[in-house]
Amino acid sequence: MGQQLKRRPRPALRRAAVVALLGAFLFLAGCSAETRQEWENLAMPDPASDQAEHIFYLWRYAWIAALITGGIVWGLILFVVVRFRRRSDDEIPVQTRYNLPLEIFYTIAPILMVVVLFYHTVNVQNAVLEDTDQDYTIEVVGQQWSWTFNHVLDGKDEGPVVYTYGTGSVIPTLVLPVGKTIEFRLNSPDVVHSFGMTGFLMRMDVIPGRENSYEVTPDTEGEYRGKCYELCGTYHSRMMFNVEVVSEDEYLAYLDELEAKGNYSEEPLLGGNYVNDPVGLEEFEEEGQ
Amino acid sequence: MSAATTTATGEQQARKSLGQKLVKVITTTDHKVIGKLYLGTSFAWFVAAGVMALLIRAELANPGMQVVNDEFYNQLFTMHGTIMLLLFATPLFFGFGNVIMPLQIGSPDVAFPRLNMFSYWLFLFGGLIAGSGFITPGGAASFGWFAYTPLSDAIRSPGIGGDLWVMGLWMAGLGTILGAVNFITTIICMRAPGMTMFRMPIFVWNTMITSLLVLIAFPILAGALLSLEADRLLGAHVFDPSHGGPILWQHLFWFFGHPEVYIIALPFFGIVTEILPVFSRKPIFGYIGLVGATLGIAILSAAVWAHHMFVTGAVNLPFFSGMTFLIAVPTGVKFFNWIGTMWGGSLRMDTPMLWSVGFLTTFLFGGLTGIILASPPLDFAVSDSYFVVAHFHSVVFGTVVFAMFAGFYFWWPKMTGRMLDERLGKLHFWMLFVGFHTTFLVQHWLGVQGMPRRIADYLPDDGFTFLNQVSSVGAFLLGLSMVPFLYNVYISRRSKLVAVDDPWGWGRSLEWATSSPPPRHNFVSIPRIRSESPAFDLHHPEIAAIELEQNEAEREGRLADAPDVEGREDLLSERTDTEGENR
Amino acid sequence: MRAEAWMFGATTAFFLLVSPAYWFITYDWTGTSALTMTTLLAAMVTLYLGFHAARMDPRPEDLKDAEIADGAGELGFFPPYSWWPLWCALTLGTIVYAVALGAWWLVIIGGALGAIALSGWIFEYYRGEHAH
Repeated sequence: MGQQLKRRPRPALRRAAVVALLGAFLFLAGCSAETRQEWENLAMPDPASDQAEHIFYLWRYAWIAALITGGIVWGLILFVVVRFRRRSDDEIPVQTRYNLPLEIFYTIAPILMVVVLFYHTVNVQNAVLEDTDQDYTIEVVGQQWSWTFNHVLDGKDEGPVVYTYGTGSVIPTLVLPVGKTIEFRLNSPDVVHSFGMTGFLMRMDVIPGRENSYEVTPDTEGEYRGKCYELCGTYHSRMMFNVEVVSEDEYLAYLDELEAKGNYSEEPLLGGNYVNDPVGLEEFEEEGQ
Repeated sequence: MSAATTTATGEQQARKSLGQKLVKVITTTDHKVIGKLYLGTSFAWFVAAGVMALLIRAELANPGMQVVNDEFYNQLFTMHGTIMLLLFATPLFFGFGNVIMPLQIGSPDVAFPRLNMFSYWLFLFGGLIAGSGFITPGGAASFGWFAYTPLSDAIRSPGIGGDLWVMGLWMAGLGTILGAVNFITTIICMRAPGMTMFRMPIFVWNTMITSLLVLIAFPILAGALLSLEADRLLGAHVFDPSHGGPILWQHLFWFFGHPEVYIIALPFFGIVTEILPVFSRKPIFGYIGLVGATLGIAILSAAVWAHHMFVTGAVNLPFFSGMTFLIAVPTGVKFFNWIGTMWGGSLRMDTPMLWSVGFLTTFLFGGLTGIILASPPLDFAVSDSYFVVAHFHSVVFGTVVFAMFAGFYFWWPKMTGRMLDERLGKLHFWMLFVGFHTTFLVQHWLGVQGMPRRIADYLPDDGFTFLNQVSSVGAFLLGLSMVPFLYNVYISRRSKLVAVDDPWGWGRSLEWATSSPPPRHNFVSIPRIRSESPAFDLHHPEIAAIELEQNEAEREGRLADAPDVEGREDLLSERTDTEGENR
Repeated sequence: MRAEAWMFGATTAFFLLVSPAYWFITYDWTGTSALTMTTLLAAMVTLYLGFHAARMDPRPEDLKDAEIADGAGELGFFPPYSWWPLWCALTLGTIVYAVALGAWWLVIIGGALGAIALSGWIFEYYRGEHAH
């Protein structure tokens, strides 16, 4: 057998103790009311839009199902390790090779569980991706390494915009009206980015050469954070923006402000031409690579 | 049985010089030596990529850039991912497959011994070429291991590190494909007499099915890589954004990329399947179910690739999420079969068993988070965040690394003739287990809170700092856990030779019916094969007879989830009658 | 060999179902092409194994009651050692490295050396003392 000195008693209990310690450590990590809320949500930020409510609901129930399943299986593993540990060196246990009814059961049961989860998934997905008559359209541009937000004026889905943008040292702010459905149209002039904001529980990739889009109906005023969620080059981590959800009146006032500043354009600033004609291409071709 | 030609093998004569030993190794055609080369080289890459991970975790422990700059950080995680998946986990499969599979099927070597060595060299040189980006002025590739275009094209990533990455991986991938060809041919054509398909050990089944997956997935990668290089080098426009290039790349890459993660999982499932029966003193539960589940996982894995693309808005969500949910079912079946193997057994937590149970515990959580990610609306919430990072480390590290160490401790005596120390092995396990979970459990939380992946830095008021610090501490503990292992390997060089075929006592498959280590062409004699446990039938015919007694349907050849045991009863009664005579 | 053919056959059957299903659900050229090629790959191996399984007697490893002695005799030729895998890999590595660097002159040199190395490998056991 393996070389070893005296065997430590009950390794399974030691393992359980380690797990408990780890759990306690993590729990003690923060005990404010805010943290308790986080634990209730299982770390998910509070949903701040109609669509996010659906996602949040599915998140909770999927996790309950997952943890119950996990608990049963971990329980089985722990039970087996403790209950069937070797008690004497010449033990020969019953050599069961199979149990067809049991095997059929644990093939069919997961199929049923998965079917239920799929059903709920499709329902939530349809609710979240539903293409409604949006109230406002914002053409979002993700570029290396900041964002441009083109707010289409007068609630149209096409036409003149007012815009705001970020630079390497200025993080832009996206202002949104509460209670209205906003369609984000995502464009990139260079590489793949991803447009996501905490609270809305949703992100979509921004892909050069195609327009991706999704709708959000914010239901809570507040401040949120936005980040880029797809590696887009050296300063990917710096591609942040702030989100402010305000009342519709404040939003319209903000748009007027931008127009007064001169940030007005007949067409959205998409950097679109650069998709087919990337910046630096001419020099690149001249140098003969 | 003998090879048609042999050179004089007079190692017993004079002590060979270092040069002679080196030549013997670099001109070898022996699958056991080639396997050890694969194992050693992959482990070296594991350590290198591990150091990169420690640099990453050191940087992320606090907001602000303290250790590296943004560009180098991107190179670090790109190469960490590339190395871990393509230069560690995949070649590790070839390492274990090479050392163990021919022994388990009773063949003298693989079907194409020179091709076997050629595949190893392609891995070594291809890997070195890909990694040599670090010593170029522009640095290594920094566009992430999935190399999404247009970020990975010549304009956005002009450095030569990117070209070296592409071509180096192409070469290593070629080695993988040739290795898979070798394995499939060996398993189909070179089994010992009586070793029917349904008497093969599950590890061999998994090796064959994984090799099939390699043939399905790697050529697509090779094609995509060459197309990318054509874009980078020759001014081709394959992946131009103006005609859907980015999505084209993603489809091609993930058609390879998803089967790839099953390529690195299935062989290690096979290792665990070999270990559990030996330390539970029971045969594997649900043999045919395991074969079916493995095949099911493999074929399904080729139909789920776009679950990596849910947030692109360019793929059909129900098809891919449905298929992904489905793949959980055979994986669950395997899990229950493993538990069923241990159920009612006589378990002892020797190190191989400890690692296997560690795998079960860790992989389970990763599998559950995988189900969560399979649902597109939930994926919309956590895609490309640390939740995904935590998920894949749980499944991949949980499978590959835990099962790797399980396999090392289990097969060390077969490979080297000596045992690894048990106490050091257990210290190694616990340090790694605690370190791993400390590192990655908190990352689930971070991801859900909104921390993106592949970021070099975060804001102090993001609220990510504390958990990142916990994760980094865990990572360093994980790194430290390698010390007892390396020390163990070092001191075992001088430990006692085992001198028996089966030092564990309850080995089942054929490798335990030959010496430790085996002779050049593996067997001096092979016992009669009438089940999937020929060595066990040889060494413990009375217990094997008990098994037949207790499993009626198996014994009578009726429909049963058991391997093919026709003729086993007679063989065992012959052996138990001739008591004391070993074969 | 029949069991192996059936295994690849099951794989082919699965992809035969999934490939057209994928096309009609998504109309995606990329995935459908990849799945179709996978189907053809699996079908090719299935047909090869099935064809041979039907036309040959079971081999000792296909028989449940075979004795080890049934496989006695020469099993095949196993090269005891060889330098050629190393030379071939080095030349291919040179070509690959040269492509990455865009150094076409080195590609040509690597190609020429590679042709020599490959010939050496192929003819290794047909030359010198092995010539026949």
